[in-house]
Amino acid sequence: MFLHYIDLSIRSIKSTPVISVLMVFAIAIGIGLTMTSLSVFHMMSMDPIPHKSQAIHFPQLNIMDEGGEWHTDDNIPYQLTYQDAINLYNADADFPRSPSFRSGFSVHLNTPDVKPTMEPARLVYQEFFSIFERPFIFGAPWSKEEQQSKPYVVVISESINNRLFNGQNSVGKSIYLDNKSYRIVGVVEDWDHHIKYYDLNNGAFNSPEKLYVPFSIAPLEEIGTWGNTNGWKHETLNGYQSLLQSELVWVQFWVQLNTAAEKEAFSALIMAYMEDQQSKGRFNRDNLQYALRNVTQWLKYNQVVSEDNRILVGLSFMFLLVCVANILGLLLAKFLKRAPEVGVRRALGASKKHIFAQHIVEVSVIGLAGGILGIVIAQLGLWGVRTTNRYYEALATMDVSLLLAAPTIALMASFIAGLYPAWLVCRTQPAIYLKSQ
Amino acid sequence: MLEIKPIFNALRRSKVGAILLFLQIALTTAVVSNAAFMINDHLSYLKEDTGFVQQEIFSFGLMTFGKDIDLHQQAERDEDMIRRIPGVIDAVFIQAVPLTGGGSSTSSHLRPPPEESKSLSLAYYYADEHTLDTFGVTLLEGRNFRPEEVVIGSDFDGHGPNTVIVSQAYAQEMFEGESALGKTIYVSSRPLEIIGVVETMKSPWPRGDRSSRTSIIPFINVQNFHRVMVRTEASERDSVMKVIEDKMLSQYDQRVIINIEGLEESKNSYDATDVLMMRMLMVLVVILVLVTALGILGLTQFNISKRTKQIGTRRALGARKSDIIRYFLVENAMICTVGLVIGSFAAFFLGRVLMNAYSINALEMQFVIGTAVGICVMSLLAVIVPAMRAANFSPSIATRSI
Repeated sequence: MFLHYIDLSIRSIKSTPVISVLMVFAIAIGIGLTMTSLSVFHMMSMDPIPHKSQAIHFPQLNIMDEGGEWHTDDNIPYQLTYQDAINLYNADADFPRSPSFRSGFSVHLNTPDVKPTMEPARLVYQEFFSIFERPFIFGAPWSKEEQQSKPYVVVISESINNRLFNGQNSVGKSIYLDNKSYRIVGVVEDWDHHIKYYDLNNGAFNSPEKLYVPFSIAPLEEIGTWGNTNGWKHETLNGYQSLLQSELVWVQFWVQLNTAAEKEAFSALIMAYMEDQQSKGRFNRDNLQYALRNVTQWLKYNQVVSEDNRILVGLSFMFLLVCVANILGLLLAKFLKRAPEVGVRRALGASKKHIFAQHIVEVSVIGLAGGILGIVIAQLGLWGVRTTNRYYEALATMDVSLLLAAPTIALMASFIAGLYPAWLVCRTQPAIYLKSQ
Repeated sequence: MLEIKPIFNALRRSKVGAILLFLQIALTTAVVSNAAFMINDHLSYLKEDTGFVQQEIFSFGLMTFGKDIDLHQQAERDEDMIRRIPGVIDAVFIQAVPLTGGGSSTSSHLRPPPEESKSLSLAYYYADEHTLDTFGVTLLEGRNFRPEEVVIGSDFDGHGPNTVIVSQAYAQEMFEGESALGKTIYVSSRPLEIIGVVETMKSPWPRGDRSSRTSIIPFINVQNFHRVMVRTEASERDSVMKVIEDKMLSQYDQRVIINIEGLEESKNSYDATDVLMMRMLMVLVVILVLVTALGILGLTQFNISKRTKQIGTRRALGARKSDIIRYFLVENAMICTVGLVIGSFAAFFLGRVLMNAYSINALEMQFVIGTAVGICVMSLLAVIVPAMRAANFSPSIATRSI
């Protein structure tokens, strides 16, 4: 019966080509637009590291004296001071953790045939690689001992290794960062992320760094951050050392806490640290305040999904609603025209249920066609997004879940649009139409 | 004369078509007026004058890793070299490039802090007396810096500059209409005398309501990473951009030149999100209007074809063609009016919701009115064709089957 209904609906679609094409287009355009904005939204709000997003945490300390104000929702600075980051790292505890910030170096081999290039770099401790599960192609992270006493080591990314060493195992060789030589200890895969969740300072969709050097290089080479530096009180800085001692915040910090108990233990550690600092004259406030957010909470706190995008998703769903209303009108016109035919079928013994099913199947066929065409339109739309804004290159794509969602939403939309017309037409009284024949 | 009562009664007997039409008109009004308002908001920002001669300016980053030179002396030599390249008008070492999204701002005060006084945030460019010429901004009052007023060093508070040039927008806001020339502002604890006021000069963040409060401070503190802006004859810019890297490296090669980019390119990438939003909204509006127009056309056709017999009967009883057309026009206008009124309320409601949730201005009346008029005209146009066709039904055909 179902196949027969499909056959019937294809005949019916063929017999009214204009109105059917219009309906398919209405659904397709509605779905296309909705899917375009939904795809970007979906990619933006996707969990970047699903199996660990609950475990990796970002601690924040409220370093300001009583009455200080910050522009965050909870009034706590986004980043840490250098001294707090170092102290939290050196504190006596087993949780894998690492301070980190973005900077950059000119990279060369100190030979005339390779022109120096500028590459962004991340300064981290060795735990960073295991926290964020960076896969190594050659070598391994530097050791604790190396980052303490012989910190002139570097982990380079695949693309730099390909450019400078033709993809060969370069572990043990040296490259120059600025005017110092660093020994390569590992080659790590390029980090291909949609959201730069581990550092939102330069924008959530900024490109990943291609070099990693030990955090302990920072004071030795006086390396400044490429991200934001913010302060809450007036301080006269005189050189790099005073920056390290200052109350300026510019360092990020990540810690892996697998269980609630570990989280509690680390919270206690922070609290004890703040009390200790308070006794040394910092944190002049009535209530010591800190925050410990996991990756999911961190992205939400930093409002990674942009306003514009939320508005677009909302507007495009309203647009879909208009399309549904349109289709409803067109279906009404189409189905009611067929009332005489339905009257005859009813007179010959078809039940209301059959008539209803037949028309719903027809609507679904239209919806499915619209959904598939909608995917094509959405791809066009996403291509438009990518060409307009290279920032969105990795974001403006459709993954499998959305590819499946498109026809589903199309089917639902057409089903909603078809319910009333199908119900109306199945109530046709056979007598009226038989009479006028 | 307009037969509103009978039309209304007839509508009550066939509600569905009317309700659908009404819904569509209301929704479209609400969505289109808000979208149009946002498009206008984005457009007016994109069209705003930045004050810079964008097509004549390009910038690049300079990362020096060699330690065997004095950065300031090298900067002097580089500036001289660049200014001598044919086609170059002027060049300047600067800590932040306008319109790129990266720069510095600080708070400025009327009295030295910690004294309480009026304070305003102020974006600043650290650069020398060549800045005005390189930017191409218009000096309204006062004068440019003298070379001896430019301070080279790293200790802003202790041995910083004493003068500043501010934008007109900042001057007006800070001094509320009084002339700013000769007045003193305090940046951190340093008093700076305003010696010049320029017309429009946008900050590194042209989006936002503080983007016009800018200043040039004659302070040079060349870092390992510094930025350089070059102004050329518009026709020469591309060729200068091509040779600049080699020229710079031939002066001194322990450094890297990055991001050689025309100023309007920088602004375009800063604006990309805005442009994207605007394009998507435009596509939405255009398609929405088209779909609604089609929908109205389809629904009217449906409403009319259902009433072929009724029309035939009326014609047979003596109604003229114009009566039939008028009937449908009035009917459509009635539905349309209700749709537009409800739609306008919905538009304001939607605007309010958006305003509360996001940083969007309040929806302005004229966008709702404009949208309503547009949709009204569109729906009348959509009804005229089917109505004319209906009026041409021959009464004999229309009534034959009774």
